[in-house]
Amino acid sequence: MAQPISNRKALHEWQLYLFVLPSLLLVLVFAYYPALSAIYHSFFDWTGGDFKQFIRFENFTRALGDKTFWASFITLAILVVANVVKMIPSIFMAVLIHRLTSDRWQYWYRVLLVVPMIVPGLVTLFIWKFFYDPSLGLLNATLDATGIKTLLVALDTNVLQWNVFREGVPIAWLSEPLLIIPSLILWGFPWIGAVGVLIYLAGLQSIGTEVYEAADLDGASSWQKFVYIEFPLIMTQVRLSLILMIIGSLKDFGLQLLLLGDGGGAGGRGMVPGLWMYNRAFTAGEFGYACALGLILFVFILALTWVNNTYVRVEK
Amino acid sequence: MSHASTTSVGRKPSDTLSHIIIWAIFAIELLPFYMMLQMSVKTNTSFMTNPWLPAPPADWQWSNFSYGLGLIGPYIANTVFVATLGTAASLFLAICAAYFFARYRMPGSDILFAMFMFLMLMPGVANIVPLFTLLKSMNLLNTLWALIIVGIAGGQVFAIFVLKNFIEEIPKDLFEAAEIDGASHFQQMRNVVIPMSAPIIGTLAILMFLGKWNDFMLPLIVMRDKELFTLGVGLIYLNGEYVKQWGRIMAAFLIASMPLIIMFLFTMKLFVRGLSGGAVKG
Repeated sequence: MAQPISNRKALHEWQLYLFVLPSLLLVLVFAYYPALSAIYHSFFDWTGGDFKQFIRFENFTRALGDKTFWASFITLAILVVANVVKMIPSIFMAVLIHRLTSDRWQYWYRVLLVVPMIVPGLVTLFIWKFFYDPSLGLLNATLDATGIKTLLVALDTNVLQWNVFREGVPIAWLSEPLLIIPSLILWGFPWIGAVGVLIYLAGLQSIGTEVYEAADLDGASSWQKFVYIEFPLIMTQVRLSLILMIIGSLKDFGLQLLLLGDGGGAGGRGMVPGLWMYNRAFTAGEFGYACALGLILFVFILALTWVNNTYVRVEK
Repeated sequence: MSHASTTSVGRKPSDTLSHIIIWAIFAIELLPFYMMLQMSVKTNTSFMTNPWLPAPPADWQWSNFSYGLGLIGPYIANTVFVATLGTAASLFLAICAAYFFARYRMPGSDILFAMFMFLMLMPGVANIVPLFTLLKSMNLLNTLWALIIVGIAGGQVFAIFVLKNFIEEIPKDLFEAAEIDGASHFQQMRNVVIPMSAPIIGTLAILMFLGKWNDFMLPLIVMRDKELFTLGVGLIYLNGEYVKQWGRIMAAFLIASMPLIIMFLFTMKLFVRGLSGGAVKG
């Protein structure tokens, strides 16, 4: 904790305020001012220029009836559920690395984990987009070579009836409306998040040898060790990543924007709430409405953060 | 890692299997980078006849790289400028602000701190539209300065949070000794805080630099002139423009990764340790 200070001494140390002043000014101008301006403009019909018209709550009532907006929340919900499942490989990886007996290997695997982080995110994104390319992409090549394609075709004709997997026709991952959400879910396979794994590893490190020895004496299986020893210890970190992931999903739309365009791809199937806000502002020029959508998103994020702070205890 | 040296029963035999599984996962995980490397020296035709294996060195198309560098070199220069200046400035400001919060509980510092922390919740999306008009009214649209200044304002928040906790752990005696020697606050910051928290400052610097290197949303909205593009917009533009020549694009991608790869080679330990430790737990 910072030292308490008497008012007289604080007066004497007034120069200290100069230390925080530049940061404060920047934050006020480039974060708080835009935020307040967003609240203000959400009550206006505003196209970004000088002209604006006060329309009370019209933007918000319009948002309530905006089918695209609410459909985008359903898409978001599907993606969030998928993201929860996509957290499992990172936990699995952390446990695998943690249980290795060799310190050296543990270190080198950590280094390998970080390697994907040093390739710019956009580069990874575009390479993955290239994987999805119908004629040149690796995904279709792999599916053809392994025979999974035949399986998918059979699945499609007999069960799904989507008519998206056809024999002899390259699968159009990113332009077939029905395949857009599956493509987004498959994205980033095998879903190892470097930061996640490293944070879980840090949590696992607090387990002492004697705990494992005791478990061995009791004849605990690997799975039991995971359920009773390892998972409870990284529970805090898992919860934290979970809440950060959900907040991140609400905020981010970069992937959808770059992959599918500002319309959310064919049939708008990849439209998420953030992207719809971006679309309204920069495609339709409805800046006032976009501000209102942004505010609604902010309320959701705030509520989630409140849930997080109330129900999820994070030790510092 | 405390149990690592022991030869406990029941865990050792499965290690080989674990290594195999880990390598299999890494093989898929690192596939994009393998593809980038091997495609960067191929032409489209040689890629189509042989998509998976590296081409024989005699056939390597070095011209892809000179072409790629021509495409992306200016963007890299702009990005280095923005990311370096932005990281340095936000770190300096963050250290100053963290010093303010950590040294004494000055009147009002609780409220000010809450103001900074609240920003971590605020979704950038809600701010983007008014920020755009603000930058427009400041005549900063289509300038690198817009990216730098907005980057500083946003980037410092997390660093303030981490550094404040760190500075509070520094023994008070050190500050008192410095004060008796007549050191000003600025000197205390330079001679006590910065040396004591050098590793965490290093980790934060890397994280900030990475964040700025990867940023594309703000540049996408703010930048118009091709000469002023940073990598963020540059790569998007490139991906839209040269759809056909994959070898050249991959070469450009590889060049775009080079500065980060070089940085990583020099700071690997700091990087891995910083990420493994409590630095990013926040």
